[in-house]
Amino acid sequence: MTDTPHPRVGALLRQYARELADVEPSRDLDARIDALVASPRSRVEIRPARRAAREWQVPRWATAACFALLAVAVGIIIGMRLEHRATPTLPVADVARETAWPPAEFSMWPADSVSIKVPADYSADGRLVAVDPGDHRTRARYWVDVVVSNDGTVRIEKVVPAGPLDHGTTQKNGPKKGEPDVQIQTP
Amino acid sequence: MGAANNMNPPDDDFEHVTRLIAGDASALRPLYEKHGRALLRFSLAMCRSQQAAEDLVHDTFVAFMREPTRFDPAQGTVFGYLRGMLRHHVSRHFRREKRWVALEGDDGAAPLDDSAPPDDEITRSEVTAAFRRVMLELPLQHREIIALCDLEELPYAAVAHILRCPVGTVRSRLHRARALLTLRLASLEMIDLPPGLALAQEGYS
Repeated sequence: MTDTPHPRVGALLRQYARELADVEPSRDLDARIDALVASPRSRVEIRPARRAAREWQVPRWATAACFALLAVAVGIIIGMRLEHRATPTLPVADVARETAWPPAEFSMWPADSVSIKVPADYSADGRLVAVDPGDHRTRARYWVDVVVSNDGTVRIEKVVPAGPLDHGTTQKNGPKKGEPDVQIQTP
Repeated sequence: MGAANNMNPPDDDFEHVTRLIAGDASALRPLYEKHGRALLRFSLAMCRSQQAAEDLVHDTFVAFMREPTRFDPAQGTVFGYLRGMLRHHVSRHFRREKRWVALEGDDGAAPLDDSAPPDDEITRSEVTAAFRRVMLELPLQHREIIALCDLEELPYAAVAHILRCPVGTVRSRLHRARALLTLRLASLEMIDLPPGLALAQEGYS
């Protein structure tokens, strides 16, 4: 390990040390030391002149925080603009109709259901069972109005006794020949 | 201010410190006259501007005046204690400067931080000014060891006491610092290395 510097480096170091030793303290430093000696110890303050100069500087962390905040704000603005541009514009009437609640045509009931008139008769064990309207050997003594909804529910609206003319296809409100006995009911 | 004479018997210093502890602020003046220039020399070797160097010397005396009782004669001389305090102030100064960023350029005022160009008025010749610029480019640790060992010409044991590290560490740090300085001076063609000399063989890499 070298214990002596390079000869030329050593010469430069000595010359530099001589010139540093010749530097006189400024009058300002002497005056500040004198003021320090003259002032009471409790009022000693460190470098008041440099404190004022600090007003033109800000900490690095504050600068970084400002830049980060600015970047986030710009990102939010850009994002809002892009999102606004991607959203299709709706006519005022459509918007009003979509936002009105509840809409006028809205119903809590199912939208579609069918009412079926089923000819029925009592069986031997006393239960009401459907009969084949095309079978002339049987006779419908009752019409059962059944409503089948598109939500899967089936309910019996009413059971009415069939009149003398209401047999099979001859009933007053029954289906015509060749047509299903189905009618659409609007809730 | 008189020339620094650190070879005076330390009894005078102890007497001044005793007076300072007793509340006699005027005892600070002879201590400044005796050690101020040597402290300023070290501070100038570390800082780019004379103003910053003087500020640090001033801060050292302010801190010493505030709490003179912290000086322990058993630990060393008054000058050693002051230089240790100055060294701490220098380190704190550079740590503090790292946290600040200037908002405006040079407005003609004296430079406050070490990002400014060095004060060329400190040196008399162009060569020394260039050498000072190279010195100030060195890392703080290397600059400090060269200032203490080569500029102040303190013995290794004294430097080890100031830096609170073993003498071997002082030697190795000084070796690396000199190697770095030599390499930088050679790259600027301020010195000529012997032809064919490999820097790595000399430990200059």
